[in-house]
Amino acid sequence: MNDFLSTYGFLIVSMLFGSMLGISLYLPLMAGQLSLASPGFYAVGGYIAAILSTKVFVTTGAFPIPLLLLEMAIAGIVCGILGIMVGVPALRLRGIYLAIATIAFIEILRILSLNLEITGGAVGIFGIPQPFSSPIEYLWIALPLLLLSMAFVYRLENIRVGRALVAIREDELAADAMGINPTYYKVLAFTLGAILAGIVGAVSAHFLNTWNARQGTFDASIVYLTFVLIGGSRSFLGAVLGGMVFTAMPELLRFAADIPNLPLFIAQFLRDGRLMIFGLLIVLGTIFFPQGLVPAGLFKRSTQREQKSTK
Amino acid sequence: MTVFLQNLLGGLSIGSVYAIFALGYTLVFSILGIINFAHGAIFTLGAYFTYALMGGKFGFNGLLANFSLGIQLPFWLAAILAAILAGGVAVAIERLAYRPLRRKQSDPLLMVVSSLGVALVVVNLIQYLVGAENYTFPGNTYGDLPSAINFGSTENPIAIRTVQIIIFGISGLILAGLTYFITATKYGKAMRAVAEDPTTASLLGIDTERFIMLSFFVSGFLGSIAGTLVGSSFGIAGPYFGIGFGLKGLAVIVLGGLGSIPGSVIGGLLIGMVESFVPDSGYKDAVAFAILFVILLVRPQGILGQKLIQKV
Repeated sequence: MNDFLSTYGFLIVSMLFGSMLGISLYLPLMAGQLSLASPGFYAVGGYIAAILSTKVFVTTGAFPIPLLLLEMAIAGIVCGILGIMVGVPALRLRGIYLAIATIAFIEILRILSLNLEITGGAVGIFGIPQPFSSPIEYLWIALPLLLLSMAFVYRLENIRVGRALVAIREDELAADAMGINPTYYKVLAFTLGAILAGIVGAVSAHFLNTWNARQGTFDASIVYLTFVLIGGSRSFLGAVLGGMVFTAMPELLRFAADIPNLPLFIAQFLRDGRLMIFGLLIVLGTIFFPQGLVPAGLFKRSTQREQKSTK
Repeated sequence: MTVFLQNLLGGLSIGSVYAIFALGYTLVFSILGIINFAHGAIFTLGAYFTYALMGGKFGFNGLLANFSLGIQLPFWLAAILAAILAGGVAVAIERLAYRPLRRKQSDPLLMVVSSLGVALVVVNLIQYLVGAENYTFPGNTYGDLPSAINFGSTENPIAIRTVQIIIFGISGLILAGLTYFITATKYGKAMRAVAEDPTTASLLGIDTERFIMLSFFVSGFLGSIAGTLVGSSFGIAGPYFGIGFGLKGLAVIVLGGLGSIPGSVIGGLLIGMVESFVPDSGYKDAVAFAILFVILLVRPQGILGQKLIQKV
């Protein structure tokens, strides 16, 4: 067991991070808004933690947990404010504008982090102090955080706000006519996702020990999108499971590539073709499983009726 | 004065490439109402096609290491063939990835998502086949020309890079040709009719599917030409170089107004100019995106777009 944990500890914690990033993308999707900004907020959160822990809270020995929690809170607040700033101009409008604005956002962030001195330029920030002695111990932070965010989203789906989001997804104009303010709810969902991504980024910076501009790229956005879309865009469980499975997938593919007697070109494809496989999964998934593999309303009684009524 | 003129022409030349590239987005957007994110990948593909058709050799990585086609076509022929090939790829993408979604009348958002998937596949396929190296076109790609032409007098030289003049010329020709095609020919008119209202157009006897295919072909053609022009003058910076360009194209179409053809041209030229007057620094690439945010704030319909009032 100990052997297993020390070998796969890193992967297990990464899978939980993947789940939370999935949720952060799932939140705006609840209102039918395609956001590609999660990696951007994740990167911002990471930079905040990295800068604070290497330049402001300089400590010796293990990094104290309360300071880590403080960093997570700061990252969450900053990303929340950023989320509102990006969300309001884009979400006043209907249609594809959020996707475009979030792409512009991650590109600006990438360019800033490559050029600013405080973010360490292209090299990034090194030697971020560790609060724990081994990767698996990060579960103390990651697991409660995941459970908390799952409980939060589960609850959210069952209250007025969640119903408003679904109403906007199904028909924004009708929702507006019913007295739901679409901009308010869309910005709310987007900002909640931003906060979560920022918090995860803050933990992740410590976890990975180094942080650079490669953390928040256009590629990463599409990968996170796969988590949610293939996992299931109509249930947060889809995002959670998708995040876990697809974070582990490169590992699984590597494992599959080591099967003896496999033709060389297949083995090589399994090793190098990860992003191609992700892309193909997205294309096929949108055609054959437009709502992902985890169906809507897995926990609800009126499953049948609801599935019929959704497009 | 000299610097001003150089910046101006530099801006016009890169701006005109932005314009023809952004028109590819616009054609598809005006018909299907989606942003085709695979357009940036087509741009990359076009540059690689032209490189290969001109007899360029591929590097040491990837499945096609050290491969070359063994034919050496002149630049203009290679560029046109590459554009036709890329247009074919765009049509194939439409048939394989988007048409099934349209048949099922899925949410347009899914088509956008699917196009992201397609972009990921195409870019990584290129990397898988020919590796991630940079490739540069041979020095005399456009023929044996001087590297700069002096428009001033000998005492007061105004030297303009030949490449910029050529790019501007080619883009101008393409823009003129496309404008003629869309406004004056039967096919162009039919395409506009489909964009206006697919149902009515099909009731009037226009084969909607055929014109969707045609607009994807033209879109791929334009993307490829833009890729070839950028690749041949600045070099191909690995399989991802089209993605960054593709993202900038989004700023162009939002600035001009989503779905507006003259808007894309104006947006492209404007962003090209602004970029060329911004002093060189690491932040230069962020300018287009900053403009995008400002436009979203102050005039979301863009320069030439119309405010849409949605009715039930």
